[in-house]
Amino acid sequence: MEAIATLEQVSYLYPGATEPVLKDISLTIQRGEFLGIIGPTGAGKTTLCLALSGIVPQFYGGRFFGRVTVAGMDTLDYPISQLARHVGTVFEDPEVQLIGTSVENEIAFALENLCVPRAEILARIPRVLAAVRLQGFEQKNPQELSGGQKQRLAIAAALALQPDLLILDEPTSQLDPIGSQEVFATVRTLQQELGIAIVIVSHAAEEMAEFADRIALLSQGRLIAVGSPDDIYAQVELLEQHHLRAPEVSAIYHALGQQGITLPAVPVTLAGGLAALPVISTQGNLAPPPAFSSPVIDQQPPILSAQHLTHVYDNGTQALHDVCLDIRPGEYVLVVGQNGAGKSTLVKHFLNLLQPTEGTVKVRDRDTRHLSVSELARSIGYLAQNPDNQIFNTTVEKEVAFALPYLGYPPNVVQQESLKSLKAMQLWSQRQTHPLSLPKGERARVVIAALLAMQPDIIIFDEPTTGQDYQGACSILEVSRQLHQMGKTVIVITHHLYLMPDYAQRVIVMGQGTILLDAPLRQAYHQTELLQSTYLTPPQSVLLAQELSRLSSQDYPLITPQEFAQCFTPELSEEVWA
Amino acid sequence: MQENLPPAGEERQVQTLGGAAIDGAPIAYIIVLAAVVTALAFIPFSIVLASGGSMPLNQSIFPLLGWLLGPIAGALASGIGALIGIFLAPYTAGVPVVSVWGAVLGSFAAGTMVTGNERRYWYLALTVLLVLQFCLYGYYAITNNGVSLSVFVAGSFVDWSALLLFVLPTRILFARWIAHSNVGFLAVGLFLGTWMISGITHLSQTTITYFMFNWPEEVWITLIPIIPLENLIRSVAGTVIGTGVISGLRAINLVKPKQAIY
Repeated sequence: MEAIATLEQVSYLYPGATEPVLKDISLTIQRGEFLGIIGPTGAGKTTLCLALSGIVPQFYGGRFFGRVTVAGMDTLDYPISQLARHVGTVFEDPEVQLIGTSVENEIAFALENLCVPRAEILARIPRVLAAVRLQGFEQKNPQELSGGQKQRLAIAAALALQPDLLILDEPTSQLDPIGSQEVFATVRTLQQELGIAIVIVSHAAEEMAEFADRIALLSQGRLIAVGSPDDIYAQVELLEQHHLRAPEVSAIYHALGQQGITLPAVPVTLAGGLAALPVISTQGNLAPPPAFSSPVIDQQPPILSAQHLTHVYDNGTQALHDVCLDIRPGEYVLVVGQNGAGKSTLVKHFLNLLQPTEGTVKVRDRDTRHLSVSELARSIGYLAQNPDNQIFNTTVEKEVAFALPYLGYPPNVVQQESLKSLKAMQLWSQRQTHPLSLPKGERARVVIAALLAMQPDIIIFDEPTTGQDYQGACSILEVSRQLHQMGKTVIVITHHLYLMPDYAQRVIVMGQGTILLDAPLRQAYHQTELLQSTYLTPPQSVLLAQELSRLSSQDYPLITPQEFAQCFTPELSEEVWA
Repeated sequence: MQENLPPAGEERQVQTLGGAAIDGAPIAYIIVLAAVVTALAFIPFSIVLASGGSMPLNQSIFPLLGWLLGPIAGALASGIGALIGIFLAPYTAGVPVVSVWGAVLGSFAAGTMVTGNERRYWYLALTVLLVLQFCLYGYYAITNNGVSLSVFVAGSFVDWSALLLFVLPTRILFARWIAHSNVGFLAVGLFLGTWMISGITHLSQTTITYFMFNWPEEVWITLIPIIPLENLIRSVAGTVIGTGVISGLRAINLVKPKQAIY
């Protein structure tokens, strides 16, 4: 195959940096291939993408070693505008690259800048909209599109340039599972039908294993390994060593392998895992289904309560309909549902940022309509999806202490509470640092520390793992666990179901403004049809456990790779199911 | 690169090609800062005694733009921002052409405050122009309008003191303080730098407007305490805005334009 891009011994330092962010990277990207790039935060993935488009080093400056060529052009010898005819780039947040007032203007913008004739622009617009399945949206304002649609529009705008190479830097991290699937499926179609080479950076291990032709693993600026998804994702220990998550299927079969139940190759996709399930029966004994204790139902009066809550926005959209919900002190509740399911609207009622059209919302026994937002702030801490929106001080310490004087705390108590909070969130050594100079996971921790200082009883995390790598996501969830252990009531909204089994006790599934299911986590995760009806993807462990139940005619309510692996013992040659 | 040096690849000369940047300053920065200049045009901070109207607060950040973007991109951003401000906030526009000239000159002059060897003599051309303007200004005031020498010296205190600071090595000293990591030095550098650059901008603008309006000695006398006060306001505002902006830029490590001195 012909190479579309090559990197030869590429090293790069940002201006003023003493450490290179890329170190001696050599890599060839073939025409028409689908290359996935994985790596922990700080691995240099984004810088590598920027180097392929010439933005590094032409825009950023700094010191550059080695050579990058795209379509035969050295990225240091050609202007970015010329390279852009061959390389299209789509970033994590489509909002930052959508500027048009209509979908078709958005696509035309880059073409106009490249002086493409008007007739040609008009011909390309319907073609690319068809490729990303956005026909009929030509006159729509991009801001009115859903997250997945916006990302597809950004892809269409890049595609209109007819690039040989399309780079997508974490394009799905802010999307719900259906949006994420839409993007991966679209990109795969483009690769297969138009022969465009795709480079995609993503933490979505399951999707990468399914869609990519090759995976490149970066860590601390170095290229650690390149190979097929089967090669890379089968090396679970290597991934763990670099703080990465393997697909749950790989984790399960890897754990089984460590127990002596081995397969010629570790499956990395769900289809492979399901196909291999009967095979392992020839090598291992299946233990009886483990007994899991039912969660104790607390009879304390609810700390948060919504009764027959209905909310209709001014434009007539009914966001919530007859929602009844009680959350008791000390619970850890997971709220899930597709975009537009009503999760945020519900949470805004708890914070009195929205008032019920019908019904009541109570914090303890007080109606939120009679409580001010500042009064509620003493009871409820809210971590927004983007912690940066909640940060406005110049040091971590000032940020944490900011609200306390306004709540009437005397100076000595302000100092005492902020100190306690900084130490609890392991931020003491960084108290003089500018909060925005910290990594995103740490910035979330700063906001949590500020919330904690106000001693709320309830803490709400709104999509806290969005945009985080696996280590960052776990680190935030560990904080949530810590708060739960301190006796706080914790509510987490997320699409990442695979992250939550170790944390949440109860799951509330929302869809179309109502509560579709309110059940203990283990039970809820096995309502796979219901989850899928609201576009949520159950963890692969759950789907494998259901197949195991079907094959063995026993009920295995497993939800994690560890639980799954523990159900097998390596006794030989005894077939356990037909 | 510490233990990673030397990399296996050959080091390449990094240059900006194409139109994404002007004189090393990303166009996005130029647009954003031009917009800030326009926004500050809406805020008046003093009455113009000689020609009427009021002075816009954006005068206080013309030097800052030069230090952030360099002489060319800074002058461009200030000029565009001031030009748009004239149409959107005509009550602070003064003499429109002179206002835009002052914006361009202020940022350009600030951008010539370099500490290295590159562009180290650019200030000389500017100095020649300013000295010439000062001589014309004095000559016209004293010989044509009968302003006494003492009144001229007092009335043009901001102008000649700024010109002196600009010609002497204080120009480089202020640049070093602006580049200093200590926020105290930064603030002092910004204050004195803004005083100096606003002073020479005032000199250049006033020479032009003086030839247009010819104000008598009585006005000169009234202006003696007012002009330094106005320059003080520009300097304080420039220091407050500049310290925040530069500290923030340093903290978030945003890409630094090539000619920036912070």
